[in-house]
Amino acid sequence: MAGTSTRPSLGSPVDLARAGEPPTEASPAELLDENARLRRICAALMERVESAGMAGSAPYSAFEHTVLLAEQVRERTETLQQTLAELHAAKGEAEAANVSKTRFLAAVSHDLLQPLNAARLFTSALEEHALPEPSHRLVGHIGRSLKDVESLLGTLVDISRLDAGVLAPDVAPFRAGQMLDVLAEEYRQMAAAKGLTLHYVPSGAVIESDLALLARVIRNFLTNAIRYTERGRILLGCRRRPEGLEVVVGDTGPGIPEAQHEAIFQEFQRLGGSRDVQDRGLGLGLAIVDRIAGMLGHPLRLDSRRGQGASFSVLVPYGQLSSASAGSALTAAPSGSGDQLAGTRVWVIDNDAGICEGMAALLSSWGCRVRTATSLARLEASAGTQVAEVLLVDYHLGEADGDGLAVAARLRERHPGLAVVVITANHDAAIKARSRALGYGCLLKPVKPLRLRMQLLSLVTTQGQGRG
Amino acid sequence: MLDSLAAVRGCPSRAIEGASLCTAVSRQRDPWAAADELAAALHHETLGFVLFFCSAEYPLPALSAALNAAFPEVPVAGCTTAGEITPQGYGRGCIVAIGLDRRDFAVSCALVEDLEGFDLLRAQHLVDGLLAECRDRAVAPLAEHSFALTLLDGLSSSEEQVLATLDAALGRIPSFGGSAGDDNRLAHTHVHAEGRFHGQAAVVVMINTLLPFEVFTTHHLRPRAEKLVVTRADRARRRVLELNALPAAEEYARLVGVPLAALDATAFARHPLAVRLGEAHYVRSIQGVNDDGSLSFYCAVENGIVLTAMQPAPLLEDLEAVFTGLTERLGEPTLIIGCDCFLRRLELEVLGQVDTASRLLAHSRVIGFNTYGEQHHGMHINQTFTGVAIGSRPR
Repeated sequence: MAGTSTRPSLGSPVDLARAGEPPTEASPAELLDENARLRRICAALMERVESAGMAGSAPYSAFEHTVLLAEQVRERTETLQQTLAELHAAKGEAEAANVSKTRFLAAVSHDLLQPLNAARLFTSALEEHALPEPSHRLVGHIGRSLKDVESLLGTLVDISRLDAGVLAPDVAPFRAGQMLDVLAEEYRQMAAAKGLTLHYVPSGAVIESDLALLARVIRNFLTNAIRYTERGRILLGCRRRPEGLEVVVGDTGPGIPEAQHEAIFQEFQRLGGSRDVQDRGLGLGLAIVDRIAGMLGHPLRLDSRRGQGASFSVLVPYGQLSSASAGSALTAAPSGSGDQLAGTRVWVIDNDAGICEGMAALLSSWGCRVRTATSLARLEASAGTQVAEVLLVDYHLGEADGDGLAVAARLRERHPGLAVVVITANHDAAIKARSRALGYGCLLKPVKPLRLRMQLLSLVTTQGQGRG
Repeated sequence: MLDSLAAVRGCPSRAIEGASLCTAVSRQRDPWAAADELAAALHHETLGFVLFFCSAEYPLPALSAALNAAFPEVPVAGCTTAGEITPQGYGRGCIVAIGLDRRDFAVSCALVEDLEGFDLLRAQHLVDGLLAECRDRAVAPLAEHSFALTLLDGLSSSEEQVLATLDAALGRIPSFGGSAGDDNRLAHTHVHAEGRFHGQAAVVVMINTLLPFEVFTTHHLRPRAEKLVVTRADRARRRVLELNALPAAEEYARLVGVPLAALDATAFARHPLAVRLGEAHYVRSIQGVNDDGSLSFYCAVENGIVLTAMQPAPLLEDLEAVFTGLTERLGEPTLIIGCDCFLRRLELEVLGQVDTASRLLAHSRVIGFNTYGEQHHGMHINQTFTGVAIGSRPR
């Protein structure tokens, strides 16, 4: 089969490009010869076709295989890139939807909090009035219902904020007692109402955390302890651990089976056992606790077995008080008598007329002399040359005045001794931090009358000392 | 004659002495003088690796010794060529080198001496070793930021299998390279690693960098209508004995319209043959005519493969378009390492376009060499310009 017998191809070459055209005027010998060559071409092609596709060891097959592989890889890479692009777009849409949901929730809750705030202030003011006993009881019920609505709303807002990552912690050192004393006082009465005793062990340790968020965690522990304990006692205390202060809330309730220890930290999980008709929780409490603790980096612990009570704790790192904050105004003890605020001149600026009225009613009931206005210009117009000791200013004012801090700064130019409390519905830690830096108080909406009162008392006392 | 691209351009966004990529050429005939000249241009505090391409005319043992002495602390890899691409374009009889700064490039290098026995297990071991070495000094995550450069003995006849195996082991790491040349003598080609030159061997260089890069290949050849079927082949010697059941050289000469006696490299460059796989044509370059009327190829051949006759389109237009595309995607390249088939250079010489080509190569900052075959993603290809373009700003 060596190509020795083939003649030169000048006459009629196998032109495979024009295979369809028959050679012209070929002799029989030429045709036979061409036929033989075509057979051999055919045989070679068949051999090739039949050996193709085998991942053989032949060098050309290796090359061919690599080429086909590269082609497949290229195609798959293209498909993959397209899929990735689609996923990326879908993720973008989902994120946008989430952001808009969070914004919507924040907007709705803000709008709801405003009238609720006003209603709470009115109710508090009404409670101060001398009313017939049945009416007084009704007012009390309204007040508690409003408080429930407020706390539920707050909880929902907080969960959405935590999920969206907009609630940034404002971490500072403080005395554990500063927070726990107030909580113990508050919950001792709630426990007593249910026939339980609250045993509180004070601690002098200094810890570092976000006071408001940590208080929220412990409030949740306390609320749960009271809710689920039918008889016995509640314990609030601290253990000094090497890695931090463990704040513990224990109870003598029914306990939590081990199998449910994780589930109770999820939303809308309630354990059976509460027959309290007053109980209107949504089962969101521990879900929030879990998120807050995660955000603050405070480990949570639950010790409980069925029938043996439960003990929830949170581990908070130790802190170091700066000398300035050691004697902070915040530690000023609240006083039961209303005399100290009597005669205090208070200016209120809030662009919501309802809030202004509510504030006026509440502050007047404490004996304050109140002047309210919906803008700086109106306040200046009505106040004339008068002065005041305290300014309560809403952070979010109409566009003409800038924010509450700017308004406060302008008023203090003319009234250097004016104490300022900024009130905001915005949970942004930056506003609180800026207020604190300027020496202003800062309260979150909805304003709780007790807090407002404590804030005012501490300001009046400090100012008194300052003047003396 | 010295040149340093990076030194001329400076390093705009970084306040460093030295530069991330320096290039140099020496036209000294004496290996010691040449090595000294390269060292003077490339050496700096953070020089991490030297890659070079040299004429096969150098006394190779002496050149190894000189390079070892000139770069005592730095690994050096390279190969012999069929012509060099210097900072000024095409060169001949000289040595070009690239210095890589270790702050921008983590480089590891391995030598394969037993090409026949290079199986997947060995390939995996080799790649693992290269990646581990790179990882220790990595300047960027290894995935997506690394490529491999292969330099093979161009007359070993083992390229296809070595490359296919290596590609399987490299996985998603892009690779490219060239087969070493010997100034068209077709006698001895060598690769350099571990301090000396080796025949029948391959060098694999793994390069990790934060700078953007793109591995690419291009050719300027378009298919014609004619087809040739290989009806007899000697696969071990890469020879085609018959095309269309006729003596191969004769049939080829008839097809391209050149007298049998006049078949030479220039004719092969102007009238290439290619195999078609899928939509693409892969040129299978002819090395020469043998006394028995068969044709030797630069790549694997097999009985029954169908070869398509190809014709050249304007070479430089194609190359310029590729460089423009690279600049659009990567920004102005700092450097292009180019493996340019020696047949392309031959075609440019015949057409009198060498000077124009040199200007384009210099302007595009190409350093490289003329090969006896190129490598792209594990494929052994012929008559292409294959390389990597490296951008200037980290991505």
